[in-house]
Amino acid sequence: MERQKVISKLTHLGGEITDEIMLHGSPKIRIPQRSIGNIHFNEKENLLELGDKMSTRSFLNVAHSRKFMQTILIASKCKEFVSRNKTASIRELYYQLKHTIPGTRENTFDDQSESDPLIVDLEIALGVLREELHLKADDKGTLIGRITIEDSGDFIDCSKLGRSGLSIPSIVEHYRFHDVEADYVLVIETGAMFDRLVEEKYHLKNNCIMVSTKGQAARGCRRLVHRLNHELKLPVIAFTDGDPWGYYIYSVMKAGSMALAHESKRLGTPKMKLVGMTMTDIDTYGLERVTEKLKDIDKKRINELLQYPWFQKKEWKKELSLMSKKGVRIEQQALASKSLEFVAEEYLPEKIEKNIMLP
Amino acid sequence: MITMESREKHADELFKEFRETSITEFFRKNRAHLGYSGKLRSLTTVVHEIVTNALDACEEAGILPEIQVRIDALNSEHYRVFGADNGPGIPLKHISDVFGKMLAGTKFHRNVQLRGQQGIGIAGVTLFSQITTGKPIKVRTSTGNGRVYEIELMIDITKNRADILSKEEYSQYWRGTELDVELKGVKFNLSERGPFEYLRRTAIANPHARIIFIDPEGRKTVFERSSERIPKPPMAIKVHPKGLEVDDLINMSKVTKARKVSSFLVNTLSRMSNAKVREIQEHVSFDLNKNPRRLTWAECEEIINAIEKIKFLAPPTEGLEAIGEEQIRNAVLNILDPEFEAVVTRPPKVHSGGIPFLVEAAIAYGGHAGRVIGDGIKCEIMRFGNKAPLLFDAGGCAITKAVNSVEWKRYGIRDFENSPITIFVNLVSTYIPYTSAGKQSVAEDREIMREMRFALMEVGRKFQVYHSRKRRALEREARKQILLKYSIELASGLAKLTNKNEDKILKELQNLIEERITGMEIEEAEEGIAGEELEPTLEGESEDNSEAHRIEEVE
Repeated sequence: MERQKVISKLTHLGGEITDEIMLHGSPKIRIPQRSIGNIHFNEKENLLELGDKMSTRSFLNVAHSRKFMQTILIASKCKEFVSRNKTASIRELYYQLKHTIPGTRENTFDDQSESDPLIVDLEIALGVLREELHLKADDKGTLIGRITIEDSGDFIDCSKLGRSGLSIPSIVEHYRFHDVEADYVLVIETGAMFDRLVEEKYHLKNNCIMVSTKGQAARGCRRLVHRLNHELKLPVIAFTDGDPWGYYIYSVMKAGSMALAHESKRLGTPKMKLVGMTMTDIDTYGLERVTEKLKDIDKKRINELLQYPWFQKKEWKKELSLMSKKGVRIEQQALASKSLEFVAEEYLPEKIEKNIMLP
Repeated sequence: MITMESREKHADELFKEFRETSITEFFRKNRAHLGYSGKLRSLTTVVHEIVTNALDACEEAGILPEIQVRIDALNSEHYRVFGADNGPGIPLKHISDVFGKMLAGTKFHRNVQLRGQQGIGIAGVTLFSQITTGKPIKVRTSTGNGRVYEIELMIDITKNRADILSKEEYSQYWRGTELDVELKGVKFNLSERGPFEYLRRTAIANPHARIIFIDPEGRKTVFERSSERIPKPPMAIKVHPKGLEVDDLINMSKVTKARKVSSFLVNTLSRMSNAKVREIQEHVSFDLNKNPRRLTWAECEEIINAIEKIKFLAPPTEGLEAIGEEQIRNAVLNILDPEFEAVVTRPPKVHSGGIPFLVEAAIAYGGHAGRVIGDGIKCEIMRFGNKAPLLFDAGGCAITKAVNSVEWKRYGIRDFENSPITIFVNLVSTYIPYTSAGKQSVAEDREIMREMRFALMEVGRKFQVYHSRKRRALEREARKQILLKYSIELASGLAKLTNKNEDKILKELQNLIEERITGMEIEEAEEGIAGEELEPTLEGESEDNSEAHRIEEVE
C-alpha cells in the first residue's frame, strides 16, 4: 500500500471522530472482534479467518476511555512515522508516546503490553499491515541452512553464520531468496534443541533449513516460513514439545492465530506437518521414565484445544486424548536420555524418512 | 407565653400523689442494682437523678427547662456536683420528702410514662452522698412566690425521713431548684458512659431543654434548645385489652369495685365498650353479669381468648409522649450536624399486659455522628427509655440487639461498625420492661423487638435512598473526571491526525462530556421518583402488617 494511502486512512479515522465530537455525538472506533466468537476455521484452506463481527470502542464509556485515547495517540504517532518515512520498533513507539497526562499522576501508557494490542486493533480497523504503519517488532527466531538471502543489497549465506544463524527480523517482506539447496524446512520450538541440532550439523547432513521459533512464533518468523513454503515450495516440518503448548505453537504456524486471524493467509502454512514429540513416541522409544506429569493448567489447556474447530482432525483428537489419558507431557530434550546424538542421528531421520508425522 | 403560663400547675398539685415505701434499707443492700455501682456509673447516676427530676418537673408544670450541671474535682475520686434548674420549685413542706425520704414515687403506682422510672430518685443522691462523705446535701429552692429556702439535710436511715441540719428562709423573687452535693468514690471521665455523654444524649432526646455543662476542667458546653415545644405531660391510662394476660386479668378482678364482670371490663380496660362486652359474651360460656371477684382462671382465659378474636381500636396514645419526628430531627441536626438523617416515630403498639408503647428511631450519618475512637470513627448506638439515655449494660439490651440484628449492608452501609453513624432509639412506654433494677437495659420482649426492628429498617431504607443517590453522584463525578482527564490527550492526538485546531476540539469535547453527565443526572432523577413510590420491603424483613391492622382497624 502506498504511504499516501495509509496517511489518508489515518486522517480519515481522526476526521470521523472529530466530526462526531463537533456534533456532540458519541465518538467511537469500530474494530473487528478478535475473540473466538468471531474466528472461523476454513477447513478447505486449513486457515483461521476473521468473521465480520465488530466491537465498538466508545470514548464516553469510561471502561473504554483510556484505550480510546491510547488508540488515537498511536494513530497520530504512526501518521508521523509514515509522513517522515521512518520505521520505529513497537517499543520505540511506546516510549515516544509515554508521558504523564497533564494535571494527573497517570501515564498515557504504563507498559508496552498496553500499546502492543492496540497496534493490532489499529491494523485491522484500518485494514493496513503493521509494516505499512512503519512499525516493527524485535527480532525473534533464528534461521540456519543452505540458503542465501538478499537483504537490502547484501547477500547473506545462511550456512556460513557459524552456530548462531540468522536472526529473523519482524519484517521479511524485502527478503529475496537465492541459491537454495534444501529439501525441507524444519521448524523447532526451543532454542536449546535448535542448538543441539546445529552442533550435530543436522541441517548439513540432512540438507534442510532449520528455523527456531524460540517459543510462540513471531510474525516475522511465521511470514518467512510461509514464504519458504509458498515461493520455494519447500515442505515444512515442525518439531515441538509434546504438550498442549507445543501443539498450539504448531497450530499457529500452520493455520494462523486468533489474534492475527486477519493475516492468516500471509502468515499460515497449512501444509505443515508435525514430526514430534507425540504420545506414541513415548512407547516407541521407551521414554516413559522421562515424561513429566501434567499440571492442572496443562489439562485445562488440552480441553480448550479440543474445543477449537481447527483441532478437530481425528489424529489430533486422538493425540490430545491420549495425552489426557496418560496424564503426562514429553519435552523435545527428553530424547537426550538416549544420547545427545540420538535426536539428530536416529529420531528425526527415521521419522521423517518413514513419514511418521501428524497432519 | 400566655398559654404556657396557663399550663403551669401549682407545685402542690404535683406532690399530691406521693406514696411512701420504705426502701432505705433496700437501697443500702441493693446499691449496685440502683445505679450506684462503679465509680463512673455512680457519678452518671447522680447527674441523671438531678436532670430527670428537673425535666419531669418542668414538663409537668409546662416550663421550658434550662438546666445547669457543674462538676468540680475536689480531690482524687472526690467531687462536688452542682445542679440548677428553672423548674417549678419545691414547696417547703415537700422538701424533706423529696430529698430526705426514699420513695417509690408516683410513677410506680400509675400507668404513666416518666423518665424517672430509671434510678431510685433524687433522695438516692442524698443517701449516696451521706454514705460516701458523711455530709448533708444543700438545697436551695423557691416556687417563685418570693420565699426562698436554703436547707441542708441528711436521711435518717432507720426512720426513712429527712434530718434537717439547717434551714434558712429569705425573700427573693426567683424560681427553681439548686442542689449542691459532695461525693466520694466516684470518677469523672469523657467516656461513652460518663456524665458528658449522658447530657449530650439527654439534649438529643429533649430538644426543648437547654442544658449547660461545666466539667471538672472548667470546660463549658451548652446544648442549645432546638424546639420551643414543651412535651405534653403524660397521663395515666387504662390497660389495652390486646396482649392482656390471664394473670393480669385475675389480679385486676380481685381489686375492682365493679359488681359485674361486664362493668369491670369496661371500667378497667381501654377501648372496651358495652358493644365489645356483648361481643365477648358471644364467645364465652358464662354470664358476664357475674361478680368479677369470683372469676376463675379458666373464665379469665376464655375472656382473653375472646379478646383475641375481636378487633379493638389502637391503644390511646395520650399516655405516651413521643419526642416526635420533627423534634428529633431538629435535635439531631442541632447536636450532630450530620450529612444525612432519617427519623421515624412508629404508631403505638402494645406489649405484655396491654401496655402501650411506641418506638422512635433515627439514623444520622456524617458530621459529628458516630464516636471518635483514636484515629478512627465507630458507629454509636444511643439508647433511650422514655427519653432518658441508657448508658450502661448495652450488651444485654434489646435495643442493642435490635440494632445489631438489622442487616445494614442491605441499606448500603458496608462496614456498619466503622462508619460515622449514630443510631438513635427511644422506647416510649408507660412501663418499660428492664432487665434489672438498674434500668439500663431493656428486656427482650418480642413485640418491642419487632417494632424496633421495623423502625430501624424504615430509617435504613431512607438512608439507602440517600446513599445510593450520593453514590451515583460520586460515580458521575468520577466518570466526568476520567473523561476530562483523557480528553486533553485525545484532543491532542486528534489535532495531529486531522490538522485541526486542538483547542477547539478540546473545548467541544469538554462541552460534550458536560452535556452527557448532566443528561445522566436528569435520567437518574426521573428513575428516582418512580423508584421511591415502589420502595420495596426487603425480602425476609418484610413487615407483617396483619397484626398491626387488627389493632388499628376501626370497629
